[in-house]
Amino acid sequence: MEIHTALSKQPAVLLACSTLSTDTNMTGTWRFVRPFHDEKTAPCGAACPAGEDIARIQMLTGRGAFRDAVETILLENPFPATCGRVCFQFCEGACNRASFDDPVGIRYVERFLGDMALAEGWARVPLKEPETPRKAAVIGAGPAGLSAAYFLGLLGWSCEVFEAAREPGGLMRWGIPAYRLSKDVLQREVARILRLGIVIKYGRTVRPQDLARIREEYDAVFVGCGLSRSIRLQIPGEDLALEGLDFLGRIRRGEVDAVSGTAAVIGGGNTAMDVARSLVRLGAEPIIVYRRRREDMPAFEHEIIMALEEGVRLMELVSPLKANRDGEDIILTLQEMRPAGVGPDGRARVAPDGERRQSLRVRSLFTALGSSAAPEWAPPAEQSQQLLRLGHITIRNGPAPLVFGGDLTNETQSVTDAVASGKMAALALDTCLEEGWERIIQSLGRARVGPGPALSMESYLGGARADRNRTVVSFEQLNMDYFQPLQRILPTIQSPEERRAGFSEIEGVYKKEEARAEATRCFNCGICNECDNCRIFCPEVAVEAGSGRRILLDYCKGCGICVVECPRNALSLEEEAS
Amino acid sequence: MHEIRFHGRGGQGTVVASIILAKTFFETGYQVQTFPLFGVERRGAPVEAYLRLAEEKILVRSNIYEPDYVIVQDPKLISLVDVTRGLKPGGWILLNTPGPPTDQGPFEGFRLAWVNATGIAVELGLGTRTFPMVNTAMTGAFLRLTEMAPLDTLLEIITREIQAKPEQNRKAAARANKEVQLLGPVP
Amino acid sequence: MKQVLEGSHAVSEAVRLARVQVVSAYPITPQTHIVEAISEFCSDGTMDARFICVESEHSAMAAVIGASNAGVRAFTATSSHGLALMHELLHWASGARLPIVMAEVNRALAPGWNIWTDQTDSLAQRDTGWIQLYCEDGQEVLDTTLEAFRLAEAVNLPVMVVLDAFFLSHTFEPVDVPDQDTVDRFLPPFDPRFRLDTKNPCAFGPITGPDRYMEIRRDIQAAMDRAPEVLAAVEQEFFSLFGRRYGAVDAFLCDDAEVILVVSGTAAATCRQAVGDLRKTGERVGMLKIRLFRPFPATEIRAILPKAPKVAVVDRNVSFGAGGIFAQEVKAALALHKGNTAVYSYIAGLGGRDITTATFQEIYLTTKDTPTPPAESVWVGLAQEERA
Repeated sequence: MEIHTALSKQPAVLLACSTLSTDTNMTGTWRFVRPFHDEKTAPCGAACPAGEDIARIQMLTGRGAFRDAVETILLENPFPATCGRVCFQFCEGACNRASFDDPVGIRYVERFLGDMALAEGWARVPLKEPETPRKAAVIGAGPAGLSAAYFLGLLGWSCEVFEAAREPGGLMRWGIPAYRLSKDVLQREVARILRLGIVIKYGRTVRPQDLARIREEYDAVFVGCGLSRSIRLQIPGEDLALEGLDFLGRIRRGEVDAVSGTAAVIGGGNTAMDVARSLVRLGAEPIIVYRRRREDMPAFEHEIIMALEEGVRLMELVSPLKANRDGEDIILTLQEMRPAGVGPDGRARVAPDGERRQSLRVRSLFTALGSSAAPEWAPPAEQSQQLLRLGHITIRNGPAPLVFGGDLTNETQSVTDAVASGKMAALALDTCLEEGWERIIQSLGRARVGPGPALSMESYLGGARADRNRTVVSFEQLNMDYFQPLQRILPTIQSPEERRAGFSEIEGVYKKEEARAEATRCFNCGICNECDNCRIFCPEVAVEAGSGRRILLDYCKGCGICVVECPRNALSLEEEAS
Repeated sequence: MHEIRFHGRGGQGTVVASIILAKTFFETGYQVQTFPLFGVERRGAPVEAYLRLAEEKILVRSNIYEPDYVIVQDPKLISLVDVTRGLKPGGWILLNTPGPPTDQGPFEGFRLAWVNATGIAVELGLGTRTFPMVNTAMTGAFLRLTEMAPLDTLLEIITREIQAKPEQNRKAAARANKEVQLLGPVP
Repeated sequence: MKQVLEGSHAVSEAVRLARVQVVSAYPITPQTHIVEAISEFCSDGTMDARFICVESEHSAMAAVIGASNAGVRAFTATSSHGLALMHELLHWASGARLPIVMAEVNRALAPGWNIWTDQTDSLAQRDTGWIQLYCEDGQEVLDTTLEAFRLAEAVNLPVMVVLDAFFLSHTFEPVDVPDQDTVDRFLPPFDPRFRLDTKNPCAFGPITGPDRYMEIRRDIQAAMDRAPEVLAAVEQEFFSLFGRRYGAVDAFLCDDAEVILVVSGTAAATCRQAVGDLRKTGERVGMLKIRLFRPFPATEIRAILPKAPKVAVVDRNVSFGAGGIFAQEVKAALALHKGNTAVYSYIAGLGGRDITTATFQEIYLTTKDTPTPPAESVWVGLAQEERA
């Protein structure tokens, strides 16, 4: 086609257009404060006795990087499937999301990951090899002993565990009812621990007098034999009662098929709940008899609610005076109590309400008042330069250092606290032998999560987490512009009727998509999840993406927008050094 | 030039009828122009559509004020709208009515034709009993009034333009074309 | 092939034939059937284009600006309030020298709410740097839309194809829809002079200080100045392929006219009829249709209007405080001419009020009988009580 001249002779367009690169404009010279990626501590991780890096675990789970998430857990806790079932979720109590809508279902996510780790056979291998081979003896294959062995195993030690019973697990095996933790899950988690080369010697009861000999054969000893002495009621007729933990053990050994009639359970702790709830499942009608009020119970609220839902009855403000046999029944005489202020420990006190008495006719009677250490296993009480009391453990120096841990030293008796104790023992022993006794405090300080007392294996080994700012991020320090309310996802949970019918596990497990969705609810407080807000908002394009995010100081003018727009407070601003 | 005004109700296919006729006349060789009453469309409300036919190019693009033909799709509109407004003396008015209009007073001075389009539509299952689609029947009847375009062309256009029940719509047009009663001038 | 087509769909067909690659629109009143048909073309594969449904007309224009800057042929359509909302980005499109084509259906602005035809919406955008072409019938709409892409891409300015609401947008009439091959010969694929290109990075529309801004503006003016010549060339090619041409202006029976009626849009068609009717009664009347409003074809106008002693400009728009907008432009164009042509200004047909052959007869007779033009625009066809 003929092109008309007017169409062919086109002058170039004069455009507002620049091909100059902004690279030449060193806006960094304007700066007097500088932002830096300053990862901080999430409240969940600081609240977790095992010091799990929960914010990171949620981030990885949310991305579907399940194996990375599992390995992150297994660095700090050998029992994710168990803790995912029985942990009292201190993390969720601290979760910043609770100030927004509902806390992240951290325990449900952990159970999902724990189960997946078992199904996939994922495990950790030793993280270092000591120059001199180290060998530890562990007394008791409960959660503390197994944890101590596990963490020592990760540090390259070899361990032998002496266990009086024929099966591992301690209280996890005998003291936690099957509806909360199945035997199968526990066995498979223990099997994974043993893959580190740890040996358990079953049927080997160790007595205190054996310790001296053991200390000669090993480089260190961990005593985690638990609390073997039940606290007594000390009332007439007490021998008519069955001790709660013994009873739970008998159920788990298959020695109890059914219990009928009314049963009184004396106590208000978690064991009392376990006993009462087990009794429901065995066909009895349990009544919890407690001398204070429901709100004063040491049992966790969640456990109390579940017990009441299942039909457990509760008598508050009654204290047993005596128990009498009456044919097949037992008559329990109860002193009525009244609240009497608050004690110096902050707990409510009660006092007898005059002479007011009640009697309660039951078919069976149980006590669940807690336990104490057998006197021969009580941790040493003296003050000495060669003795350290460190919260979760007591350690005595010597040619073979001796650690008392688990329930012997823990303030809170939980599986997760036992894990904390095992970890602290392992880190303390490793430091003691590698660097010397006097370095323990400093070494554990380096490993602590946030303000402590939880410790991190990753930090101990000098991983990235060690550099994390120990400031715990509060809700007010997050930027809520970037979050929307999202419903907390619940796994399937049996109805009270289903629960009463037997000992099968109450809670279901998340599907993959549910786990990812719930983990995505996590604010990832204080850690960079590469959301790129800093990069997107930077007016000077001075944030570089790569593995993590980097500030290009040649161009960063110190405006601080990145710090403000970081949803999770993973950046801070500092004065430019003059 | 011939100017035609359609009266109907929103949703009754009044505009479609005007377009079908426009295309029919265009195929026959006429210049055409059709447009709806400009404004807001609501179902059931009285609506109007317009059609211009001419041998030569149609220049005028204003509204139609003095039509040569009026097509009334719904007999009830007569009491609602002045359907003979502006109709040229001697102009045709085509009514959809079940039988010959008893009161021909309003149509004095015009020529009258009627067809039972509703009956045809209902029989052929077009629309619903309460809201029969009479538009294709009316186009068929209108062709008889003008004798300006062949029925076959209309039937062809209906096949092309009407997606729902084309066969029944063709039948409706053909039947109305046959059954329409041309009463002629009303004295 | 000639077919009976709605005016809106004449635009849609042209956009399809132009092989537009990105269409963006906000699909709610005062939008028309134009984008409705295009969205169907996009979804059924008739058009290989992305239809971007946005949340406002401002965004619709932003989207086609982005698309055009990326180097693809882009189109949008709007009307009245939608156009007003685009205002800021109309400046951007021309300033960035983007050959966007937009169909603009002339509808009145509220209040009161009125969706009927009125040119004030598009004329209010006369200073945004867009070329504006006002169409008379469905065929011209289709042809102008095709020409608009050539014109826009030749001068790197956006083009607004303007059509009256209802009288054109909703009216069915025979329109010759050309075949794709011939259109392809007329309109080759878009070959942008500049585009966003990651291999050759540059920033479009950066800060441009007092040392540069004025030259860039002067270049836009230069492009506008070239537009009439380019339009003529484009039309020459269009004519050779399709046998139709429209011109920047169209003079009808002007040579011996005592009064020339100056009109635009669909009123021009009705005016042709009125002029023809008047001529039959011996009146010496002519008509000048203004199709190209921006750039204003002052040269062409000066070649025609001074032939007549009187010119009556009929404006379907009003610039409050100044009167009819075409009349102002015509007066300004004639100011350079040392003739004695008197310009009469009339305002008619606002908000969809009909302009009939009788309206033109009335305007003609009034002009003929009024020895000197009044200073203000005369409003025609007002209801009796309002006139009082």
